[in-house]
Amino acid sequence: MNADLAASPAPRHHVIIGNGVAGNQAAELLRDRDPESRVTILTHSRLLFYNRYRLPRIFQDVTSWPELLALPPEHYAARRIHVRRECRVSAVDPRNRLVKLAHNETIPYDTLLVATGGRGHLPEELAEYRPLFHHFGSYEAAMATRRALPDRGAVVMLGGDMIGLDLARTLLAIQCRVILVTHETTFWPHALTPEERAEALSTLETMGIEVIDGDARGGIVAVEQGAPGLPARRVRFHNGGDLYGDVVMPCFGLTPMVEFMVGTGIDIERGVLVNPQLRTSDPCIFAAGDVCQIWSEEERAYRFYYGYRNVRAMGAVAAVNMTGGQEAFATTRAESIGRDAQGRIDSSFWVYEA
Amino acid sequence: MTLHSDDPRDIGWVRENIPCQNACPAGTDIPAYIRAIAAGNHGQAYEINREANVLPGVLGRICSRPCESACRHGWAGNGDPVAICHLKRSAADLKDSRHRITERLYAPTGKRIAVVGAGPAGVAAAHDLSLLGHDVVILEREEKPGGMLRYGIPEFRLPRAMLEIELRNALRLGVQLRTGVTVGTTQGAIRVSTLLADHDAVLLATGCMAPVLLPLRGVPEGTDLARHCQDVEYGLPFLMDLHRGQNKRVGRRVAVVGAGFTALDCARVARRLGGREVTIHLRTSEEYIPVTSEELFETKREGIRIKGLRTPVALRTDGDGRLTGVAFVQNRLGGWRENGRRLATPIEGSEFIEPCDTLIIAIGQHTVNDFLDMRVELDRAGNVRVAENGMTSVHGLFAAGDYVRGASTAIEAIGHARRIADRIDAWLVGRQRRRTVRIEAVAAPPRLPAHDFIPKCHMPTIPLAERQQPTREVELGFTPELAAEEAKRCYLCDLRYQIDVDRCIYCRACIEVAPRNCIKLARDVEIRADGSLGALRETREWRRVAAIWIDNNECIRCGACFKVCPVACISITRNHFVTVDG
Repeated sequence: MNADLAASPAPRHHVIIGNGVAGNQAAELLRDRDPESRVTILTHSRLLFYNRYRLPRIFQDVTSWPELLALPPEHYAARRIHVRRECRVSAVDPRNRLVKLAHNETIPYDTLLVATGGRGHLPEELAEYRPLFHHFGSYEAAMATRRALPDRGAVVMLGGDMIGLDLARTLLAIQCRVILVTHETTFWPHALTPEERAEALSTLETMGIEVIDGDARGGIVAVEQGAPGLPARRVRFHNGGDLYGDVVMPCFGLTPMVEFMVGTGIDIERGVLVNPQLRTSDPCIFAAGDVCQIWSEEERAYRFYYGYRNVRAMGAVAAVNMTGGQEAFATTRAESIGRDAQGRIDSSFWVYEA
Repeated sequence: MTLHSDDPRDIGWVRENIPCQNACPAGTDIPAYIRAIAAGNHGQAYEINREANVLPGVLGRICSRPCESACRHGWAGNGDPVAICHLKRSAADLKDSRHRITERLYAPTGKRIAVVGAGPAGVAAAHDLSLLGHDVVILEREEKPGGMLRYGIPEFRLPRAMLEIELRNALRLGVQLRTGVTVGTTQGAIRVSTLLADHDAVLLATGCMAPVLLPLRGVPEGTDLARHCQDVEYGLPFLMDLHRGQNKRVGRRVAVVGAGFTALDCARVARRLGGREVTIHLRTSEEYIPVTSEELFETKREGIRIKGLRTPVALRTDGDGRLTGVAFVQNRLGGWRENGRRLATPIEGSEFIEPCDTLIIAIGQHTVNDFLDMRVELDRAGNVRVAENGMTSVHGLFAAGDYVRGASTAIEAIGHARRIADRIDAWLVGRQRRRTVRIEAVAAPPRLPAHDFIPKCHMPTIPLAERQQPTREVELGFTPELAAEEAKRCYLCDLRYQIDVDRCIYCRACIEVAPRNCIKLARDVEIRADGSLGALRETREWRRVAAIWIDNNECIRCGACFKVCPVACISITRNHFVTVDG
């Protein structure tokens, strides 16, 4: 066991910031591996862990939040996992091993797992239009978007990351019009060659998505309220050719949620930098999921690993190492994009196992 | 009631309890000018600024804002810092067009001083020395004054009209400005030794303008890469050439190496010059770069990418010697530097190529001393060594600003130059001036609790579509309404709340209403060697309580304690430094 961890008297307090796949997977394993310990999950969400992979179903048949919950509330009680909702972490104090909450409460920890994931990235040039966008990063945001979208309405999808393209499949199934404005982040997190990208875009068109070349139009110059009698939003381009849609969704990939870690001295680049054991530059702090950049010996670079399987594996590795193990994270599946039997686009990023 | 105090406890209190003013290298009385803006007195706010810094409208646009990093409103749990710099600009922009500048002149001394360099340090020192009654001449190599401000900062950040008017105001008290004059050892240049012979004192304020060269594999050490490859530029010379009127060009893909304001400026200029893919490459990460978050945001907003953890190691060129890319190695974050930034540790075997057509290197500047025709003692960094009063090893030869301290910021250069000007004056005529604390009674708390909930006002900017014009200022400035609203957010840290323990009945009402842990039961307080008060020794045992004490470090000047006190034993005073003769 790591000396810093071993120094903590039992029962230890394992604190997890983040209530997603990585955080919950880690909580389960921490409970198993360290039965006497206290396990606390801090989340700014009002809901318990829900399945974000099922969020598109809000546009189909899911009508209330309990249907999305991955685990019933009793599960946490039975497993003695304390979930504190609506807690916004404002800072971490590694020296004193404290998590500070926005309401000025401090929570001591022995080991800390940062598993806050990412939020939808909005390029800075579009930041001023934030209030006009429709989001999909949480249950509440997805519900608001659903309410704004009329039957068979038109969705303008900017960017077109794999989260958005997953939703696009559902939108097409419910007879919505989907207009994709391409960007360098189209197909994020997959990095495609120009040939692969052209083929994948062609596949999207075959599926019924209208593909607009964002570069050819000179990029987006403004997003505005639609005029009376027209759809609710207008997207304007540098080179002209406005687009109208009932909702406009930014789908530019994810940005790690690390703001509360800035200034702590923990190494951060875009995400929290960790070694393959998911340990940060502080021996008592770990990171897992979409928030961390993991050192890859093979690629000699820090990189992100996305997708359910990877994130769940990270949660497990972090829990093992938070309790004295020395496991290294290894990606569970090659990241690939292709076509399924029906000729539709298919991605390892979409794989989910309940 | 107003009084002046030299009591070390009062001096210590002002020094420690007004973090913004303490962080400002020029010592600007920030709460005072923000209070004036809140009252709509922009001209007064401008004058308060001008007492510490003769270029408020300039610094209100380009300052590195150490005050905002220190602002108590930005401390953990208090929200965002006050937009101090934007308020400074508001004072300059919103003052009456017929505003009259106030200058307090001393009688002429008959002493003659030559200042070499008309950058921020030279201009600030010349202004102050002129006020103090000396005859000052500035010698400037370029055609126009301003130094880095004019030649190093793009117009979209600093409109030249504002620079022009503030420079003229700074120098109009009789400072003789001679531009296009070279001081050095070349033919036709004026020798420093000649200046010394003709003047009572000479101040060197030549700045820090020579680019730090980037060592790369395959290029002999000390090679100027800009001469080695036509597609490589150094950041500051690139900007200076542009602002001298040269026609600069960049390729479609531009790589900028560097992490400071110059690097960001080069990237934003490259974008305006037609660079389609402009990327800033950092050795460490965004967290550790010394620029303001607003500058970073605007840079990204203009489509410039920022990539971290990489060090350039080699150029890639084609058969014609044209740049095709830069080879980098991946870095790890290493140890800590003294300035709070991080070291970068290159990782072996991690080399990769970033394709580009233009490389701009902006990794810093250093001073040059080859213009000196006499032996002057230097420090290990090659900067001129100066005594406490700014004098070099040569009698009567002083130095100030970046020329002494290495590349810093405009406000640091101005602050340093002002201090040196004061000391030159003391050296020349024996005049002594000192700081004392002026204490004024305040009848009631000027802030309302609702002011704590006003969100930070953000600077309006022009749309991206209008940023193609290279000289169009990006930031639009606050309206009077926005400025007044933002000014209300200031805690006014110069207000000192004190409990008169002789009148206090220890009812604890103030403790009950305090929004923070700001009122404490004290058994003792540390008294430091200089006589100022240090840490409070708290107690929870009533029998040990010697005083009930307002911890001004925690206090957010809400006035709740003042209002609830049943025996009116809490007083408020405004405490600030003033400089007096003698």
